[in-house]
Amino acid sequence: MNHLPFEEWLLNNSPVTPEQQRDLDLHLRTCAYCSALAETGKVLSSVKMATPAPGFTTRFQTRLAERKAADRRRKLWGALLFTLGGLVLLMWAVAPYLVSFFASPATWISAIVGWLVFIGTTLFALVDAGVVILSVIPNFLPPFAWLVLLSTFAGVGLLWSVSIWRFVRVPRGV
Amino acid sequence: MTDENAWVLQAQQGSDEAFTQLVETYQKPVYNLCYRMLGEPETAEDAAQETFLRAYQNLHRYDSSRSFGTWILSIAAHYCIDRLRKKKFSVFSIDAEDEEGTPFEVADPASPDPEVESVKLEDRNRLHLMLKDLDPTDRAAVIMRYWYDYSEVEIAQALKLTVSAVKSRLHRSRRALAGMWQEEKSRAHPERRSRESLAF
Repeated sequence: MNHLPFEEWLLNNSPVTPEQQRDLDLHLRTCAYCSALAETGKVLSSVKMATPAPGFTTRFQTRLAERKAADRRRKLWGALLFTLGGLVLLMWAVAPYLVSFFASPATWISAIVGWLVFIGTTLFALVDAGVVILSVIPNFLPPFAWLVLLSTFAGVGLLWSVSIWRFVRVPRGV
Repeated sequence: MTDENAWVLQAQQGSDEAFTQLVETYQKPVYNLCYRMLGEPETAEDAAQETFLRAYQNLHRYDSSRSFGTWILSIAAHYCIDRLRKKKFSVFSIDAEDEEGTPFEVADPASPDPEVESVKLEDRNRLHLMLKDLDPTDRAAVIMRYWYDYSEVEIAQALKLTVSAVKSRLHRSRRALAGMWQEEKSRAHPERRSRESLAF
């Protein structure tokens, strides 16, 4: 059955002339689909608003207070752990030099120079070792092991990216 | 400056009292949208509360050139759409929850014509159930159009769609609803169907 132009009139709720209305009424008597379209349109135009249970605002205030307290707790613990962790790391790194500094400046200067030399030589050694490993390892590892290794790296990278995204994203619609 | 604009401004400056006024004003539209989207009062209440929390946390992003009502309904609609999409992939089915009984609108005993009112009510409840079978974004568009009288442009703004996409989603939803309505009627009155002409 041809629903045109009746379907368009009903979908757009277009104003119709008395003649068009008569044609539409005739069509609706024989077309179950357009009749359903007209009926649902009528129901949709008489819909009512649902109301929340009384005390919505009070419940919101309670929820907001709970969320704020949870945020405060999370921030406090985060700041505490960050500070403590930083302090421990700092103490661990600095303590031996502090001792030598207070013992004598000469020992302290030689310790710093020794430390810088150690870092430099370690870096060079690491670079050399890396070059050797990269040139040798491909011959030892089977393709399957490479696949597992690369998949693991990709998985960890993806997990990291998703975590960062979840942390910084703005809710949709805002 | 209207009361609402003043409340938004005060809330942006940190006044919880002003935000409470906004909650008081918009609780019904936000709850109604969530209820029509999710279908159950408990989940609707939870979604409406979450919507206001999100609005509170993102108030600094609100652009005062837009209507606050559209902004908050947009947050609610997106939240409900995301929730429905997550639910789709979860182990719980909507049907199983429906069997517990969705509370429907009840007839007004003071109505001048209780019989007509009762039929209208039945139709509205039937339509409420049918909404669940629409795609979440289509459902949001239908709700905004018919419950809030939003124009296609306003719906497009709220749902971040183009106006033509909104129009086609509204038409698709209306056709789907009519199809479901017709199917249900023929299920309820099978003898009538044989006498009717084929619609499609």
